Amino acid sequence: MAGELFFEGRNLSKRFGLHYALRDVSVNIRSGEVHAVIGENGAGKTTLMNIICGKVRPSAGELRRNGTILHFSSPLDAHRAGIAIAPQEINLCPLLSVAENIVLGNHSRGRFGIEWKETLHSAAQHLSEIDETISPHVTVATLSAAHQQLVQIARAAATNADILIFDEPTAALTDRETVRLFDFLARIRARGGAIFYISHRLDEILQLADRITVLRDGKFITELNPQQTDKDEMVRHMAGREVDSLRLQQSKSTRKATETVLKVHDLSRNQEFEGVTFELRRGEILAISGLIGSGRTELGKCIFGVTQPDRGEIEIEGRPVRHRRPADAIANELVYLPEERKREGIFPLLSVTENICIASLARFLSFFGLRWGEMAKTGAEYIRRIAIRTDTPQTPIMNLSGGNQQKVILARWLLSKCRILILDEPTRGIDVNAKFEIQSLLRELGAQGLSIIYISSELQEILNVSDRILVMHEGRVKGVIETSTATLERVLGLAMA
Amino acid sequence: MHIRGQAIQTKETKGGNPISRVLRWEASGVLLALVGLCAILAFVSPNFLNVYNVTVVIRQASFVGLVALGQTLVLLLGGIDLSLGACASLSAIVGCLMLTSAGVHPWLVIPLTALFGLSLGLMNGLFIARLGLNPFIVTLASGAMFSGLTLVITKGYPVRPLGPAFRVFGQGELLAVPVPVVIFLGAAAVLVWMLAKSRFGRNIYAIGGNRDAAVLVGIPVARIEMFAYGLAGMFAALAGILYASRMDAGQPAVGEGWLMGAITAAILGGTSLKGGQGTILGTVFGTLLMAVVSNGLSLLNVSGYWEHVVVGAIVLVAVLGDLLRRRY
Repeated sequence: MAGELFFEGRNLSKRFGLHYALRDVSVNIRSGEVHAVIGENGAGKTTLMNIICGKVRPSAGELRRNGTILHFSSPLDAHRAGIAIAPQEINLCPLLSVAENIVLGNHSRGRFGIEWKETLHSAAQHLSEIDETISPHVTVATLSAAHQQLVQIARAAATNADILIFDEPTAALTDRETVRLFDFLARIRARGGAIFYISHRLDEILQLADRITVLRDGKFITELNPQQTDKDEMVRHMAGREVDSLRLQQSKSTRKATETVLKVHDLSRNQEFEGVTFELRRGEILAISGLIGSGRTELGKCIFGVTQPDRGEIEIEGRPVRHRRPADAIANELVYLPEERKREGIFPLLSVTENICIASLARFLSFFGLRWGEMAKTGAEYIRRIAIRTDTPQTPIMNLSGGNQQKVILARWLLSKCRILILDEPTRGIDVNAKFEIQSLLRELGAQGLSIIYISSELQEILNVSDRILVMHEGRVKGVIETSTATLERVLGLAMA
Repeated sequence: MHIRGQAIQTKETKGGNPISRVLRWEASGVLLALVGLCAILAFVSPNFLNVYNVTVVIRQASFVGLVALGQTLVLLLGGIDLSLGACASLSAIVGCLMLTSAGVHPWLVIPLTALFGLSLGLMNGLFIARLGLNPFIVTLASGAMFSGLTLVITKGYPVRPLGPAFRVFGQGELLAVPVPVVIFLGAAAVLVWMLAKSRFGRNIYAIGGNRDAAVLVGIPVARIEMFAYGLAGMFAALAGILYASRMDAGQPAVGEGWLMGAITAAILGGTSLKGGQGTILGTVFGTLLMAVVSNGLSLLNVSGYWEHVVVGAIVLVAVLGDLLRRRY
């Protein structure tokens, strides 16, 4: 099905100071082809894509299209050459409408300025190719992260580029939206477009890609044929060593969980969720599954006191509680780790140590003020204990990879001695190894008596890590399944019902 | 340990020779500029480096400096306070009237004026932190009201004389150091400690760096913001009343020139307008740098009108320098 080879990057390198983000990597693509690029965080995937889409200038190497050398000094040049990217991070103007975001910089102009009617019409058309449930007229800020991601993809498609770069397009999507996205990709291929596809989800890549390029430490490792490879081999190349399996050893607690730690009864909030009732037991990992918009995140935030319920009760260890603000929940040793780590979780400029200690500063107070020595010691202890990879404890957290940032946030709440942890998409955008480490850590914490609510869109992950699964659909609880008896199909069946 | 007090932004903390370590510090640029300028002036003008002139420069700097300290706190939060100049004027006038009309004891006037400024600042904070209004707009409006009220009260005339018992705060010396300088440097020292070693201080950096995350971590964001605006008002009021004591008169327009000077000093010192980044020490150096420029120009017989041109140019150079430093 793949056509002629029409775009290539030769011997591309990018150097920052002494450090090579990318070293002598060559890639090419044929029309009608999906070329997947995989690697751990920091392997150079994003740098490579940024070079191709004109955002970053290579230190060495060249880009060619049909044999002609291309020189990009900005993404605009790449657009003109027919290359567009849907980046991983949401990169939209939140206060403009969906339609305007899609056509941004691409308005159809007539004699009297922008032809709004035509512009909006074409935007709506591009959007409907991917998802017709999103209204083109609402402002982007009102959309969920998943829908924003879809808008971003529509924007890339609307440029009419024939080389499209998708960087983790499915990270924020549920399974159903992912299926729709794949249909869309198939249509692009059918009309001869080429796609560079970056994802941590190896199943997707096996299903989708025609070729797989593996990068590690900025270098080209190998090219794989999806027909002749499997996940274990991909992971082996990415990690550069044997990782015995992605699956967690089934170390699930044999003791039957006894007491109830958190009891939620008939909790409702207008437009978000309705009559939610469940119990969380000590040391248990209760997964909450459901499509985007099923009210999972809203439920978590409401229990944590970010929003107030219209109706219903929450009990912690038999005591009714009312969380008017997050600080109340924290006082009750209940904690929420937000879905949007960058926006709501980390203090980017502060050090790893301070990010760990920030919720427990009272503990480090003495008559003369905060004891930095103690804080540094504590920070170093947690860095060692849960294997946070950082140059020094004083490194600003923004210099860490996503997986390690997430570990820092976990350390923050371990230090604050919380009893109930609500995690919202804790492994989004995190590479395979870090994901595995975080899941093992959670299991270990569960065994030590921490009770965890694990909100996630990744069914396989939920099946691996949880004890029970609560499935939500359109704001209601559709059922609770023991994970030991659950299958992917059964959970999905409940969620889509 | 390098973390003390600074919002950390260096790539690495260990290693490197002393010079590159100093260069990584965000207040390094302004310190270098200050030292360099002083060296040049000492070389060019024989009148620069003597006890009398240095005392004059530092005393002059301490009034704007006090305002700049408060402004730095607010900027660190990601806010801004445009009412501080007017707040200084109004507080000074109210303080002077306490003395002349209400017969308050001179020693009580300073703390009472500070309290008055604190309450003005808390009022700003109430609108900004509790009601979520934009700080730029709130303080623009309250600043207009403060300076308007000052004129309503004084009808434009200064309040004077204040009497010899009160002049000691502006004109007196403590161990050969002018009292305003003692208060300015004392306040700076307290703030340096506070930002490095108190929960309040660290929470300011956290809020300025990521307000949403601060709420979710359980930091009492609104309370801290309100208090920071309150402190800013208090420092402005102190500056105003000390200046009145020095001049032996409450001038209705005393704080007008201080607002921009204070913001400039903070920016020169490396404080980010986006919040979360900056130091008190940087602000102190920034204030001194501006005072030295002003002093140097008059020593070199350059017209005072050039002062703003030079300061503006220095700000631009400072911002560019900071950009280069980050790349490096």
